[in-house]
Amino acid sequence: MVAPARAPLRTDRLRAVNEPSQVTVEIDGAGVPVAVRRLDGSAIGKVESINETWRIDDEWWRQTISRLYYEVMLEGGKRVVLFQDLIAGNWCMQQP
Amino acid sequence: MSRRPTSSLAACVWIPLFPLRCEEARHDGLAGFPTALLAPDTTRKLWQVSSPARHTGVKPGMTVSQAIGLCPTLRLIEPDPVHYDEQFANLLSALTEVSPVVEAAELGLAYVGVDGLQGIYGSAEKIIEAIRLAVRPSGRPAVRLGWGVGKFTAWVAASRAKPSEAVVVPLGHERSFLASQPIAVLPLDADMHHRLRRLGIRTLGALAALPEAAITAQFGATGKRLWQLAAGRVIEPVQGRVAPEPISAALSFFSPVGERELLVHALDQLIARALKHPRRIGWRVYALRVRAEIEGGGSWLTAHLFKDPTADAGRIAAPLRMRLEQSPPTGAVERLVLEFTGFAPGTTELQLFARDAQAAARAGQQRALRSAAREIRMRVKRAVLYHIIEVQPWSRLPERRYALIDYEP
Repeated sequence: MVAPARAPLRTDRLRAVNEPSQVTVEIDGAGVPVAVRRLDGSAIGKVESINETWRIDDEWWRQTISRLYYEVMLEGGKRVVLFQDLIAGNWCMQQP
Repeated sequence: MSRRPTSSLAACVWIPLFPLRCEEARHDGLAGFPTALLAPDTTRKLWQVSSPARHTGVKPGMTVSQAIGLCPTLRLIEPDPVHYDEQFANLLSALTEVSPVVEAAELGLAYVGVDGLQGIYGSAEKIIEAIRLAVRPSGRPAVRLGWGVGKFTAWVAASRAKPSEAVVVPLGHERSFLASQPIAVLPLDADMHHRLRRLGIRTLGALAALPEAAITAQFGATGKRLWQLAAGRVIEPVQGRVAPEPISAALSFFSPVGERELLVHALDQLIARALKHPRRIGWRVYALRVRAEIEGGGSWLTAHLFKDPTADAGRIAAPLRMRLEQSPPTGAVERLVLEFTGFAPGTTELQLFARDAQAAARAGQQRALRSAAREIRMRVKRAVLYHIIEVQPWSRLPERRYALIDYEP
């Protein structure tokens, strides 16, 4: 790896990367995602397969995180991570 | 082949946290802030930590996320090994002005052979003053100096010295000086340090008081060497290096060349060839000359001395190009010869971080990157370049794994 020299990096200039963006998810009778849309209603894609599912319940000592994750393959082959915030109830999408 | 010059009387020049000090020297005001240098091999962990950062609980080896948790105002710096190598090479060059016997141990730590220097400078204090004067002028951070017989005694003395001060161990007082020192000054790993402490051995004197055979039986060959160091039984001399013979590279033209561009191109080729010479590895060039044989019998000669020794082809070529512009050969050139005539030592750390040729290549890439980033910033007038660092790569929450920071080369 080439280690570039640079000015000091202040932590107040750290920016989040891969922040989840809110989406609308259609689910089937079992509560499994079948299609993903943006909040404005435009389609992102239908879910072709679900690769993995997991749940995170964490950080109860500050702001509780409770999420149900799906790593899915959309039509066309794009791999994304969807999760449902089990406290607020909304769905979000981000990169794996 | 010439023998390496050695010296049993040694002065140890030590700048603790040398890379961090180099960063503080080139960034005004950094010294007062809690600062940490990221590790060269993984930007996820801290390598060196400043004193204000240590006071907040930040330690080397910590992950960035742990450190930020402890000290939100921590300033992180990405490492620039090429710069540290260059600074250390300059330090070694300055030391060779005082003594021909200089040995680089690691970044920020070098030994100067001082045998026979009394005839030139006088007492030990005057030699130390000469060393201090040699290493001070270029804004380098305060050095600690140790003086004694053998490298180990000199190192222990330097480790006891305060910044900008020197500890001199007079001849014959080595054993009594070493006896009171903690075992941490020995080159031992954490496991052995722990074992010795559990045995109640806390000073070199306590270690030396044990029978050598018992230590050897318990700790093997390493233990034997440590016992000998602690007891002052071994004197490791400073081993200097013999500067290489001049390196030359020549090019004969099939038909004499008068165009300046062709001569510049030929010079670039000669520089690349000479830099690749095996004798040059580990050395930087500070003096060179170029001569040209001109059609019809004339000749052209130019020489250049570098203030900062270099192994960078671009930096070597720059003054020669200028010379070709300002006072070119008076006729077409039949043969061009480049000679590297003066060398300054590189560092042993180059083996670790960046062998000379790679260092030069990386320095070139970095310069190009810096200028491209500057141009982009000038055009868009805001920071649009970012660098990704790992924050919590193990996190189960994908958004916590990485972060972006402004790219400011």
